[in-house]
Amino acid sequence: MGFNFNRKAVVWFAAIIVAVNGFFPAVWIFLTALKTETELIKSPITYLPQAPTLANFETAFTAQPILRFMWNSFVVASLSTVLCVLVSALAAYALTRLRMPYRNLIMSVLLAVAMFPLISLMVPLFKVMRELGLLNTYLALILPYAVLSLPVCTLVMASFFQDIPPDLEAAAMIDGCTRVQALFKVVIPLSAPGVFTAAILAFVNAWDEFLLALTMMSRVSMRTLSVGITLYQGEFAFPWPLISAALIIAIVPICIIIAIFQERVVGGLTSGGVKG
Amino acid sequence: MKLWKTLLTAALGVAFAANVAAQQTTLRIFTGGQQRPDVMRKIADEYTKRNPNVKVEVEVGGATSDAQQQYLSTVLSAKDSVLDLVLIDVIRPAQWAAQGWAEPLDSYLGADKGKILPTYLKAYAEANQVNGKLMALPYFADAQFLYYRKDLLEKYKRPVPKNWDDMIETARIIMDGEKAPQLQGFSTAGAPIEGTVCTYLVPLWGTGSDITKDGKLNLDTPEARQPFQLYGRMKQAGVLPKNVAEIPTDRIRVDFQAGNVVFAQSWGYFWNRVENDTDSKVKGKVGVTILPHDKGGKSATCIGGWQVAVSAYSKNKQEAVKFARYLSSPEVSKMQAIMASHLPVFPSVYKDPEVVKANPWFADALPVVETAKSRPVSAQYPQVSDAVRSNMNAYLAGTKTTDTALNDMKNRLAPLYR
Amino acid sequence: MTDAAISTRKDMSERKLGMLLLLPAAVLLSLIVLYPIATLLFTSLHSVSNANPQAGEQWVGLANYARAFDDDRFWHSLWQTVLYIVITVPGALLMGLGLALLANKPFTIKWPVRLGLLLPWALPLVFCGLIFRWFFEYETGIVNDLLVRLGAEPLRWLSSPTLATIAICITIIWKSSSFMALMLLAGLQSIPKSLYEAAEVDGASKWQQFVEITLPMLRPAIFVALIFRTITAIQTFDIPYAMTGGGPGDATETLAMYIHKTTLDFLDFGYGSTLATLMFLLSLVATSGYLKYTRRSASRSGED
Repeated sequence: MGFNFNRKAVVWFAAIIVAVNGFFPAVWIFLTALKTETELIKSPITYLPQAPTLANFETAFTAQPILRFMWNSFVVASLSTVLCVLVSALAAYALTRLRMPYRNLIMSVLLAVAMFPLISLMVPLFKVMRELGLLNTYLALILPYAVLSLPVCTLVMASFFQDIPPDLEAAAMIDGCTRVQALFKVVIPLSAPGVFTAAILAFVNAWDEFLLALTMMSRVSMRTLSVGITLYQGEFAFPWPLISAALIIAIVPICIIIAIFQERVVGGLTSGGVKG
Repeated sequence: MKLWKTLLTAALGVAFAANVAAQQTTLRIFTGGQQRPDVMRKIADEYTKRNPNVKVEVEVGGATSDAQQQYLSTVLSAKDSVLDLVLIDVIRPAQWAAQGWAEPLDSYLGADKGKILPTYLKAYAEANQVNGKLMALPYFADAQFLYYRKDLLEKYKRPVPKNWDDMIETARIIMDGEKAPQLQGFSTAGAPIEGTVCTYLVPLWGTGSDITKDGKLNLDTPEARQPFQLYGRMKQAGVLPKNVAEIPTDRIRVDFQAGNVVFAQSWGYFWNRVENDTDSKVKGKVGVTILPHDKGGKSATCIGGWQVAVSAYSKNKQEAVKFARYLSSPEVSKMQAIMASHLPVFPSVYKDPEVVKANPWFADALPVVETAKSRPVSAQYPQVSDAVRSNMNAYLAGTKTTDTALNDMKNRLAPLYR
Repeated sequence: MTDAAISTRKDMSERKLGMLLLLPAAVLLSLIVLYPIATLLFTSLHSVSNANPQAGEQWVGLANYARAFDDDRFWHSLWQTVLYIVITVPGALLMGLGLALLANKPFTIKWPVRLGLLLPWALPLVFCGLIFRWFFEYETGIVNDLLVRLGAEPLRWLSSPTLATIAICITIIWKSSSFMALMLLAGLQSIPKSLYEAAEVDGASKWQQFVEITLPMLRPAIFVALIFRTITAIQTFDIPYAMTGGGPGDATETLAMYIHKTTLDFLDFGYGSTLATLMFLLSLVATSGYLKYTRRSASRSGED
């Protein structure tokens, strides 16, 4: 009885620590969004808003087309994630499952691509997109974002693929599958946590990205969220309450997406079946 | 027959439309988020009314000079023709001339150039000419002013200070009298941002000296140490905020607006916010004047403001120059003054009754703007700015002494002024 | 047909299949980064005089690299970057591991914990720096507020070199521990419970279970997480840029910030490309240790 109590307390304690660590800035931003600018510089600082107002949220919606920004971010992030996960799944399979020459060299090259700072690649990259006629289109971001996350997604999936014994594919192939079918029917489902981890990584990388989004999309209607929010800022002014409201509006959808997918990432799809 | 008539009409209609479309030009102008793109939009619409074959698209970029530069550096280095006009900071014409990004306007203006240039404030006519070529036209002006709490000065019966030491003394007296722990005597930009260049230059100019003399570096003088020594005195007197090295430009306004600052060094936008914001605690208590100088010197202030440049890669240069001339006209200057409280670049506009009605403080502003000085004009201005601001910031943060800060500044600037 | 012939045939078609599967990745990479990287290396061997950019690029060979060698600011920014790597990579790993272990417990309602785990990751990087800058603000930041409430003096976090570095590291660790936790959680979840049950029966303590079961099983996940955290740490830019802008003076400037300034602000593309190439070499060196490990473990699993 006493032992159970301890365990429950530990579990609750753990839950609180993790939740507080993650939530406190978000809560702070939310409270700030309800304040006015002068209230922010009171000393000692106030935590709860003294006269909560929704005006900032209203301004956030009207001052910029924030919903459009969110939609653009969502389109770009999801399509680049799908592309990236697909391409890296194929690549990871080739590198871990098939007898290929220069496997390590290829892996190293993939990694090396991630080692160049994006800033220094901007001018030629801009020229490439211009020559391809892709500026101010979604592809101008989808393609680079897929490339940006390619190394990490490939490595993540490779490490998950490696843990799956080859007998399962052999079994499937005996049953008449080709290798590629085995990849999609056997290997990928079994490495679901890996696949979804890679997907979340790629998605958030794309969602967060600033520099490419700034340069490739100059038309306001094509702007993504991370750039769009900076447009609330003034040359001299940084309207914290307004930007906080915009941030809250921006964070909510991604929270929903994470809440949906986290089950898949940590869901018990691997319990049983493989390691049992 | 009927069919033939229909076809003919249709063909004529198409030809007519195509003709009109062929004559229609679309100009794209790039402006930062802070330079009132909404006002620019209204001005552009007015222009289209008068010139129906020209459509203007206003592209809004990042808010700060740096953020815009990130985008523009990439696009212009790639020689892209997507932008026809760009609104540039007053510190940029020399760099843009050197990079070949701005189209020189002399040949387009022809004889008009000699007529237009004298109508501007002198500092702007000069700032936009690089090596004798006109690189941009002034759009609106800006300068740094000394803002103060006239109610507190009256309360303690202190006159408006004309030199730095008087200001320090007044600030000290007020702070001692008010006994408010949050009250700061004097606030200015101290973070490693562009505004901090002015923090160093204004006291230096007040002594009559400058960073360069006849094109050569001029920092071996005793005057070059003055700005550091001045701020050292301020620190000792305790009138500076403790975290002055963290303060970006708008923080000064926020603090002043909340009633926590006696004297502030800031730009034109300051006035309208502290006087007109609904939550401002200092409404009606704000005075504005020229910045102080050292005893025996003369006041000077830092010039700001934005200019209209035509992109060298534009495909519509003729139309772009026409639009630029419209943007840089007394009529538009007046529109900006009334709609956005932008300081005019024409001395004549300051006296316009409608402008004065909308901005009563412009009368005090004009003499200040007229004495405004340019920051160092250089094709490598970003490096110059970086050298000055980084060392001023280090001094204010207490990580470098006067000697070290000045030496480091000299070492960084030397290769640029060889 | 002999067995050897069959297996060679299988090898050949495996190789072909492998190439085919790698083709999409190769196409994407060539299209997007091949030209920019080639241009980068090319530009690093050239120099454009900023006072006279119209003169165009001049071949200078390795002169830019020599210039970097003599450049104090380069060495300082490199040192600052290494400092951030050494502090934040292990820091984020430890915190991420802790968070992942905590998040792995059986909760009745799972989603608040998982969301709390991933929220730092969801917060756009650009704003993470700004928000934490506000937290560490001298007068209105909650860190100083808490210090004052506890009776201590407020600290000038962002205008003194050591404190600023600490503040920046705290922010980076907070943000990236989420990434680490995510990688490790997926790994933790695939450790079969039966192993723990068996160990329990054998009388192993919780700590022994952790060291003997958890850590080894997590090794591949830790490894991947470390590689990418390191590569990202080498490129640290957004957070110090937002928090201190490199100040006071240049005290907190990282190599990535110096590259950014040189390339986009000073428009010195030649030197900027050189610095970027040097950063690439640094990444190679830093991860070569990790790569050796891959080779070893790959050959080990190949023996399975």
